[in-house]
Amino acid sequence: MKRRNFIKNTALASTLFYVPSFVNAFNTLDLKSVGYKRLVIVQLSGGNDGLNTVIPYSNDIYYKNRPIIQIKSDVLKLNSELALHPSLAPIKNLYDQGYLTIINNVGYPNPNRSHFRSTDIWHTASKSDEYLTSGWLGRYMDSFGKNPYNAIEVDESLSLALKGKSLSGMAVKNAKQLYRNTQDPYFKKVLEHHNEQHLSEHNLGYLYKTMIDAKNSAKYIYNSTKTYISNQEYPDNPLGAQLKTAAEFINSGVDCKVLYTSLGGFDTHFNQKGRQDRLLTVYAESIDAFIKDLKKNDTFRDTLILTFSEFGRRVKQNAANGTDHGTANNVFIIGENLQKKGIYNDGPDLSNLDENGDLKYTVDFRSIYATILNKWMNVNDKIILNDTFTPLTFL
Amino acid sequence: MNSKQIQHLYWRAGFGINPNELNNLKKNTKKELVKEFFLSSKRSTSLKISHPNYSYVMGNNKSAEQKKKIQREERKRLIELNIAWVERIFNPKELLRERMTLFWANHFVCKDNNSVYIEQFNNILRKNALGNFRDFVTEVSKSASMLKYLNAKQNKKQSPNENFARELMELFTLGVGNYSEIDIKESARAFTGWNHDKNGDFVIRQRIHDTGEKKFFGKSGNFEGEDIINIILEQKQCAKFICEKIYSYFVNSNINEHHINQMVHQFYPNYNIADLMEYIFLSDWFYNEENIGTKIKSPIELLAGINKTVPIKFLEKKQLIYLQKILGQQLLNPINVAGWEGGQNWIDTNTLMLRLKLPSIVLTNAVISLAGISEFEDSYEQYLKSKKSRKSYIKIKQDWTTFQQNFSKLNAFQIEDILFQVKPSKEASKLLKEIDSHNPKDYCIQLMSLPEYQLC
Repeated sequence: MKRRNFIKNTALASTLFYVPSFVNAFNTLDLKSVGYKRLVIVQLSGGNDGLNTVIPYSNDIYYKNRPIIQIKSDVLKLNSELALHPSLAPIKNLYDQGYLTIINNVGYPNPNRSHFRSTDIWHTASKSDEYLTSGWLGRYMDSFGKNPYNAIEVDESLSLALKGKSLSGMAVKNAKQLYRNTQDPYFKKVLEHHNEQHLSEHNLGYLYKTMIDAKNSAKYIYNSTKTYISNQEYPDNPLGAQLKTAAEFINSGVDCKVLYTSLGGFDTHFNQKGRQDRLLTVYAESIDAFIKDLKKNDTFRDTLILTFSEFGRRVKQNAANGTDHGTANNVFIIGENLQKKGIYNDGPDLSNLDENGDLKYTVDFRSIYATILNKWMNVNDKIILNDTFTPLTFL
Repeated sequence: MNSKQIQHLYWRAGFGINPNELNNLKKNTKKELVKEFFLSSKRSTSLKISHPNYSYVMGNNKSAEQKKKIQREERKRLIELNIAWVERIFNPKELLRERMTLFWANHFVCKDNNSVYIEQFNNILRKNALGNFRDFVTEVSKSASMLKYLNAKQNKKQSPNENFARELMELFTLGVGNYSEIDIKESARAFTGWNHDKNGDFVIRQRIHDTGEKKFFGKSGNFEGEDIINIILEQKQCAKFICEKIYSYFVNSNINEHHINQMVHQFYPNYNIADLMEYIFLSDWFYNEENIGTKIKSPIELLAGINKTVPIKFLEKKQLIYLQKILGQQLLNPINVAGWEGGQNWIDTNTLMLRLKLPSIVLTNAVISLAGISEFEDSYEQYLKSKKSRKSYIKIKQDWTTFQQNFSKLNAFQIEDILFQVKPSKEASKLLKEIDSHNPKDYCIQLMSLPEYQLC
């Protein structure tokens, strides 16, 4: 055979790519019809100010601590104590329909106020003095996943949350581009003779196996989604784009249990008011479009959306009309099958703060994970969290 | 020693080797080769960047605007320091010292947004990299960055903070499970009041320092922090813990108890790091087949290895930072205090595909997408800026002249031998026979794009 120079005609020198694929036989599964439960996560990165998201509008202490950044007019009242930020009208709408549960004061013991560390803690579901190298969804993959696309992060690279010991999720921002990037003749050639059964357990075998996984996954996702067209309009922002992609995967029946998205910009140390308004608008409008899209395709009933931030912010505003890193925060659970709708527990106790002037947590975030794993994903949460948590009753 | 063994030594104790270097070393004995590593690393050249307009104290007297400006400038310095460190790794004079510095940075894991302190810290790693482990632990414990990173400021006589004491034993010296909670509580008291001044020099704040009696590892006394470190090092477990860590990084992540025992015998109780490393590199087992070509390169090792084959210079600093980020190892920005796990943990479907493509990205100035990685921005606009989908040509200057001097005379098998530490899979060998090998440049890029090249 003539020696060839693959590099000439290769995507090696173009954009990021995935290797090409062989046949995969998953396309026959009709996942829509079988009550296939999915979890969608929206991470609000930077520490969303929970007190100006779910506002304790009848509490004097709130107004005293926030003379400038308090939100007084147009709040969307939920009960006699709590109200949503005016930018969250679509979320209020979900609340009215019974599709929203707000869990207040979510945190963990010995809170860490570093973005990096606290994000790590939420991603790995560790204790605050424990360092884990796998994420809670990664460990879900280790025990219950079969293919990398069972947990997809709609982004360019993978968060710790989706990294497992033996099987990680995968990052897919654009299925078509990812597939096109797999058309590299060189890598096709590399894998031509490789057969998964012959691969050793050692590192070299592991690398080839991962390469084959990537190739198969890219092809599978592309084939599953290429004919699907959504007529739902989404707001033009990064979260809207991620949720649109997530809806494509869900509505075209991609075999993925977890979809991970995020929105950044919440580190509002100064001039918080306008900044947070904007961010919450982006969040609310994107979620609104997403749910409409799912409803049209009858997939909302099998989708649960969890929104969290790595921490809340300090009760007292700072000198720059912003807020500093805090601790406990509220978490939103959105879905059609909520057992306890609306406000799950008492709002924050502003008269009982810790030594930094931060909220004390009353609900451990890991008990939310445990509840979702156990009651929604139908798996043994103890295997994944390595600890026992009393399940909550929102599901 | 055969070529593969010399390459093994240079991959593990250095950052790879090129054909001309190998040629010059082929006749040397193991002893001579190893000795040269220590000779050339006798000195320690600090890594220094300039810190103009540096403002030591963030302080409460500064306005939010001023603080923000300082933070912005410090972030720039950290990028500069990162680049300076990568360039040092690419062109080291004190080869073994730099390799050890990179190792210790993932042992004494630390992070700081103050560029002066973290530069000091980085040079503490470098200075002690082949020195005495006792001095090393002490100096690290008294460094401004580590004091900050592990909450020394909150460690007061009235309310001790155990963070430092815990990590000192769990991560730096003994390993989890080799101390009691009481040991942590008591030793935390000895470190109360430990702090630094604005220059980063160590001070003890006597007012909040607990001089009382402590019980630690079965001993009682009015122990100071230094005493605690000494008592920890009396435990043979400390030597064992460090030897295992060194073994799994430099030799094999599968620990061989027999080899560890030999190493501990060498290391304890003097804790001389250079002697220990020399012992390893002179041992027979270091060159055993099961230890060669079995380690998954870290992203920095991968980049440094490519640079060994074709010297490269990043013309846009941000692109080098970005590559480190998406590959999962950004220097000076460790994932957490436990450090990067390494091995298969570097690999997921996304990072592997990028790693396989890395040679063609950096050697053919490919287009990459720079969007995606954001880091706790303070507004939607800032976030949007970081997420904006933009593609960019990598701007790198490749030194093809040096490459040609090294590779132009080599045949396909010789190129394969120098680039791969592992025997290629049967299938890869078959493929290699089909590829045109007449142009060494293309042939090298193609070889480096195989999974085999991910190992060293």
